[in-house]
Amino acid sequence: MIGYVSTIVLLLLLAPILLSFIKAVKMWLLYKRPVSLLQGFRDFGKLLRKETVVSEEASAMTRIAPFLVLSPLLVALFYLPPIAKGAYYVSFVDAFTLTGLLALSTFFLMLLGLDSASSFGGMGSSREAFISALVEPAMILTIFSVSMMAGDLGIGQAGVNLAEHFPREHTASFLFAAISFFILLIAENGRIPVDNPETHLELTMVHEAMILDITGVYLALIETAASVKFVIFASLFASLFLPFGMEEAWLPAAMIFVGKLFAVALAVALIEVNTAKLRLFKVPNLLGIAIVFAFLSLITYYVLGA
Amino acid sequence: MAFLFDPLSVLFVFLILLGAVPNLFYSRGYLPHIERRWHYRIHYFAFILSMLGVVVAANGVTFLLFWELMSLTSWQLILTEPEEEGTIPATRFYFFMTHFGFVFLLLFFLIATDGDLEIGFAQMHGIVAHFAYPSLLFFFLLLGFLSKAGAVPLHVWLPYAHPAAPSPVSALMSGVMLKIAIYGMFRFFLDVLYPWPLEWGILVLVVGALSSLVGVLYALSEHDIKALLANHSIENIGIILIGFGMGMIFDTLGLGILSSFAFIAALFHTFNHMSFKSLLFMGAGSVLHETHTKNIEAYGGLIKAMPITAWTFLLAAVSISALPPTNGFLSEWMIFQSLLSSNTITDMSLKLAIPFAIFALALTGGLAIACFVKAYGITFLGLQRSANARHAHEVNPAMRLGMLAMAGVVLSLMLFAPSYIRLFDIALVSLGRVGAYDAIFPEGIWHMHSVAINGGVVSPLILLASLLAVTGLLLYAYRALGVKERLHRTWACGYRTGPRTQYSATGFAGPIRRFFSWLYRPQEHLHRESIPGHESKFTDSSYEVHVRPLFERSLYDSVAAAANWVSYWVYRLAHFEQTRYAAMIFNLTLMVLFSYRIFAHEFSWATFALESVVMVISIKVLIIGEKE
Repeated sequence: MIGYVSTIVLLLLLAPILLSFIKAVKMWLLYKRPVSLLQGFRDFGKLLRKETVVSEEASAMTRIAPFLVLSPLLVALFYLPPIAKGAYYVSFVDAFTLTGLLALSTFFLMLLGLDSASSFGGMGSSREAFISALVEPAMILTIFSVSMMAGDLGIGQAGVNLAEHFPREHTASFLFAAISFFILLIAENGRIPVDNPETHLELTMVHEAMILDITGVYLALIETAASVKFVIFASLFASLFLPFGMEEAWLPAAMIFVGKLFAVALAVALIEVNTAKLRLFKVPNLLGIAIVFAFLSLITYYVLGA
Repeated sequence: MAFLFDPLSVLFVFLILLGAVPNLFYSRGYLPHIERRWHYRIHYFAFILSMLGVVVAANGVTFLLFWELMSLTSWQLILTEPEEEGTIPATRFYFFMTHFGFVFLLLFFLIATDGDLEIGFAQMHGIVAHFAYPSLLFFFLLLGFLSKAGAVPLHVWLPYAHPAAPSPVSALMSGVMLKIAIYGMFRFFLDVLYPWPLEWGILVLVVGALSSLVGVLYALSEHDIKALLANHSIENIGIILIGFGMGMIFDTLGLGILSSFAFIAALFHTFNHMSFKSLLFMGAGSVLHETHTKNIEAYGGLIKAMPITAWTFLLAAVSISALPPTNGFLSEWMIFQSLLSSNTITDMSLKLAIPFAIFALALTGGLAIACFVKAYGITFLGLQRSANARHAHEVNPAMRLGMLAMAGVVLSLMLFAPSYIRLFDIALVSLGRVGAYDAIFPEGIWHMHSVAINGGVVSPLILLASLLAVTGLLLYAYRALGVKERLHRTWACGYRTGPRTQYSATGFAGPIRRFFSWLYRPQEHLHRESIPGHESKFTDSSYEVHVRPLFERSLYDSVAAAANWVSYWVYRLAHFEQTRYAAMIFNLTLMVLFSYRIFAHEFSWATFALESVVMVISIKVLIIGEKE
């Protein structure tokens, strides 16, 4: 139980660091002076001290939605697979609940975008709705494939099973699912090539456009939600697709796990430096690749024999 | 007349009452808005009673009588406001579609009862078992019930009929009447037409998957809020059919408990759809009542004037989008789980095909979220887009009470899901299915299990409690911080924000419409008043997109064209002079003689060609004659 709670605290603390890490790696590769890894915490503290400015046109939704954006993600943190063998994990939650919680958070984020009557908000919501509608099938098919390889639909149990008996005979299927999931990780977290979190240009904004009118503590909540979402996806990727290093004692296992998270963040940063953002109407092609890989993963799994 | 009250019938009586009682309050509040009150009252109560009659009918004649009564009363209810534009064609269409289905039901009953419509359902099973072509009966039932339920390709009447009806009637029709068709499927497939070949289940699954996708895609392109909701009914009927089809498939494969699980999922979604769709139609009705327009582009900002409508609508929207921890999520979770249990099937081609249904259902889920963000955001959030929206107020207490009561039904389906599932289980056991309740809730009501090996688990109540607790903690922390709040107008990069600068519903669905343009084939009208000499500057402009449903365009229009063509020739035939009739008789005699020679004696291409030429010339000269 201590391991469980400290894992959640660890993930919460790591969330802003990982995003700052991606930024720092990108800056370093572009010969800029990298930001500090603690920048996320500084921004958070700064936003907490500010007053909130609420739009005159906004309704009660603006005052409630930021909490509902963050809380499903915080709840999802409790349901992630364990990072060390024998540690406590929640066994009664399956992957659908997890994707449902993520969708709930996105739902309120999109409503928030429409609340302030700004054309930017509507634009961001419309684009986000488009992208997340196409993410959904790929996500569910990938999850289905992985959970069959793991022999359990429960997300925690799947992580444990994969670490204990890695399905060697289904490595091809496993790799296809991993590729698909990685594309989804990029798309759902709004990273390049799907969305650029660093610009505020109306041609490219998706996530930033929705929260253009959010300030102060509300903005802090939304920013935290973004970083928590990234840490959820990164740790799902680490537990499901990099299933090793769990046999150690809690502390070394946690170290390995954190290493894996940073590896995922590094991969995202490298992709961001090396690709340009896609036009919105090219994004379905990328998601189409994810869908095709998810199907391939399922089909190879079935054809090679369960 | 004979009635039966077995658990399935009682279950659907319960469904009708759950849907109708809140509707009564809402109707009471809506009544002053209606001119022909007695017409409305009589048909409204007759409609509810006839629905009750259908589900408790014990033989063919009672069933058909109440079924027809249900169709006729609902037809008259749509006609409550006949002077509104589009109502008459919509009712005519509805009248035609509902009787199209009725013909097939009648055929089914005539065959399945051997002509004696007064025998009970149990005896019908014996007759059906000896009938040589059970697939014929299956198609009769499918056409009969699906034309009522509104599944592809018999769904085209829904987006016309539901918007034309007064809102409480739309809520009843979409929420409850479509479910009567689902009752019919449960009653006659599980009771009378059992057992099934594998193909039937697959057909139902395919129809379900197609309906769900088609429904949600056309909902997205819709601007009329009630037509949008009607399209979502098509989607949800599709989801119910996916569950039903999986149940049939598992049953054929001998996986009894998985089949029960899928049927329970279908029943659960039937109840859920009844609750949230009624609530959504009531909400839409309240908005319509206050703004006097169905056009979603004229709404906006209504959450400020109509908080109760807005928040109950939000509950229903979250539920229909299948987001946790709502009841919509639970039933869709069950349907997903039964699709995922397909990995235990040994038939490889079926096993490889079911992921496509999963894909369809998941895409539907994603698009439904997009659609309800659009419907909710454009209607209730932002600035008022028209004077009508600016003058809106909260509706009267009776209507409010109706909406709150229906919200209560939604919440009860969410909180007491185990009790409802127990009811569904009892109904299915009474039809000779394997009970699945103990397998779904093996450790008490907290955790809901999939019955498949290594299936998923969900804990609706724990999920709800944890979400509430975390949100509450965050809100408490926010209060404790004591943040100062300041109002300021929306920052729009130096421009002023106004009602016209907001995103419209058309714009919101733009990316999706563009991505699926191969399906929509939208007709765009762009009109601009350019300033002379300045190509890119304009004083006034308007942009409109119209999407005409594919099925209507291809299937129905071509049928209509063929019927026109045939009737034209029948008309010509009926208005011939007597000499032409004589010529026709002569030609017919010629044809009979020639064909007799060909079929009865010998056949040679040469004489056949010669005779054909003689026939054509004689028809051309004698019957068609010269062009006037």
